[in-house]
Amino acid sequence: MPGVLPPAGASWPERRRRALADPTMRAAVALSARNLAEKKAAAYAAYPPGEAMRKPAVASRREALKHTDALLEELTRQVEARGGHVSRAGGPADVGRYVLAVARRRGAQRVVKSKSMATEEVALNEQLEAAGLHVRETDLGEYIIQLARERPAHILVPASHKTRQQIRALFDAEAEKSKVAPPTGDATPELTAFARRQLRAEFLAAEIGITGGNFLVAETGTLVLITNEGNGRMTTSLPPVHIAVVGIDKIVATWDDVAVLLQQAPMSGTGQLISTYTSFITGPRLPGELDGPEEFHLLLLDNGRHELLGTAYEDVLSCIRCGACLNVCPVFRTIGGQAYGSMYSGPIGVVLTPLLGGLDQAPELPKSACAMCYACRDACPMEIELPRHILALRRTEIEESMEPLTVRLTFELWGRFWANPSGFRLTARLARLGQRALMRNGRLTRAPGLVGGWTATRDSPPVAKETFHEWWQRTRTGSPT
Amino acid sequence: MNREGAADRLGQESGGDLVQEFMNHWVALSGDAWLALGGADDVRRALAEAISAMVPDRAPGARPRVVAWATDELAPLDLPGLLASLGCECVSWTDRPGGTGAARDPRAPAAAGSEDDAGSAGAVMSQRRNLCAASDMGITTCSWAVADTGTIALCATPSTGRLPSLLPTAHVALVRSSQIVRSVPDGLRLMADYRVQHGGLPSTVNLVSGPSRSADIEGDLAVGVHGPRRAGVIVGEW
Repeated sequence: MPGVLPPAGASWPERRRRALADPTMRAAVALSARNLAEKKAAAYAAYPPGEAMRKPAVASRREALKHTDALLEELTRQVEARGGHVSRAGGPADVGRYVLAVARRRGAQRVVKSKSMATEEVALNEQLEAAGLHVRETDLGEYIIQLARERPAHILVPASHKTRQQIRALFDAEAEKSKVAPPTGDATPELTAFARRQLRAEFLAAEIGITGGNFLVAETGTLVLITNEGNGRMTTSLPPVHIAVVGIDKIVATWDDVAVLLQQAPMSGTGQLISTYTSFITGPRLPGELDGPEEFHLLLLDNGRHELLGTAYEDVLSCIRCGACLNVCPVFRTIGGQAYGSMYSGPIGVVLTPLLGGLDQAPELPKSACAMCYACRDACPMEIELPRHILALRRTEIEESMEPLTVRLTFELWGRFWANPSGFRLTARLARLGQRALMRNGRLTRAPGLVGGWTATRDSPPVAKETFHEWWQRTRTGSPT
Repeated sequence: MNREGAADRLGQESGGDLVQEFMNHWVALSGDAWLALGGADDVRRALAEAISAMVPDRAPGARPRVVAWATDELAPLDLPGLLASLGCECVSWTDRPGGTGAARDPRAPAAAGSEDDAGSAGAVMSQRRNLCAASDMGITTCSWAVADTGTIALCATPSTGRLPSLLPTAHVALVRSSQIVRSVPDGLRLMADYRVQHGGLPSTVNLVSGPSRSADIEGDLAVGVHGPRRAGVIVGEW
């Protein structure tokens, strides 16, 4: 069953234009991406077991994808044996319906959430709010983004594009709305103290806690949840109901698999050897326990994933959402995450967004949001063939004729000319003739047709008065051409 | 429970190194660490130091409140006596909040059955939660710890709840030096022993590596966003 992702909002040219016109955001994103990439490199250099565990970690993910259905059945048996509930969700509506049914049965109004890409993917907050529930994101970055009513700019650091002044303004507005004291200043501890106070009250009042999950361990029915702030622990310890919404791709077979995988996400994502908190959750609280949720629900989300099993794209499902490919991507560093129009940005977003939500919904991502530099291929700890997938998606897009006829004909013609040396030289001579009217101060400042897109935001050097080939012909007579 | 397993497998191979590396990593993560290898009295001394270092100053006359796990492992340390001598209010995790302080049998099944029972159990739980949220420090032990990463493992059981290490402003964990293993996979393998010994996994195992942290505001490190602002370990033998 194909999946459904939330609409991108604005068109690609509009999103791109907005991003390029925001130098503050671009500087912030570029800086944080660079920092995270450097920290990743430093972590693997300083801790050799990290690299030694990476190979078996990749193997365990790939192996699990070959037996996904059997592992999901085993997982279901184990969770149910521990008193948990397991349900399959085909797409966004299934998740919304399930959570709302639980909320209605419990008479619950207040929901706290720990950062989860899966729930972003199914726009769960919007669904719950439309039904009148109060939903609060509790990861500091997600809280900021929720107050700003924006989309995350980065998988790991969703508010990395916001300055402290902007964050303070959002907190001031929130303080006024909830009639509490505003932050005392815009220093990090002051802003953090405000969020801590506000969110602590939300945790204590919440009736349902919703999380995603980093891994699911089939052999014991265990959900593995990684956070740094402790909001994941709060969300799974305080409310009487815990609902985890987790993609079916997060399944692994055994604890030995998790043991080698656990540190890859933090090492590749932020350069931490391990995240501050890792929770292994097996069912609801046991009899006699004095805290913890009395109900545990696991919603296994498909949303286009199952269709990818057994295809050339299968390895995409081994992504551990570390963000390493974003941090090294020149396109991501230039336009930031929001321009992708998807909760999945960067190279993995370029691949995952069309694979889950349909290529016709986001053809621009593989087509335009990749420079084919292969940096992501080297950065991915799970060795996902991102550039190869992006090329394959481009090919599909051409084959399915999603491009306008003029574009296809232009590239067809261009391809034919450049397929042999004489055609290439002919285009150089033609361009040299044609460019005179378009030059200013020795630079090509505007160009007709498709090439105009290139010169709209930058000048191009003109075709030389004499090309290398022409020079060679003139000075080295008798050379083999 | 897991401690012996840890010692058998790995603890002795390079005990001193493991202790030192564990503490170094914990401190590098902005945690506090004390070494107390001289027996129960030494651990009590370290705990007194930890309390005076990590518990924020209260208003004059207000007694710092400390909530501790109700595990037998802590019994030889006589926490109630120690905390009383330090002027702290000591609450055990299994005490009934607002009640007489009589310890509840941790193995007794949770109140269930009639609506009334469930409702009153819910009220007690919510009181216990508020008590932890209003505590200055939580004291726990751990199941095992990891030298490579500065990590402690906390298993949720009836006597060792989730909240004492989560809601109070500060958390200190007492770690026996023999509980420290080399790597995270070494530690996770101990959970296989736990499954066999207890007939299943705990409902929650939390791995904790230093205090709660975030870099969500301009990449600037902030400590204590949700969980404890200060996280301490005392590595001892008692």
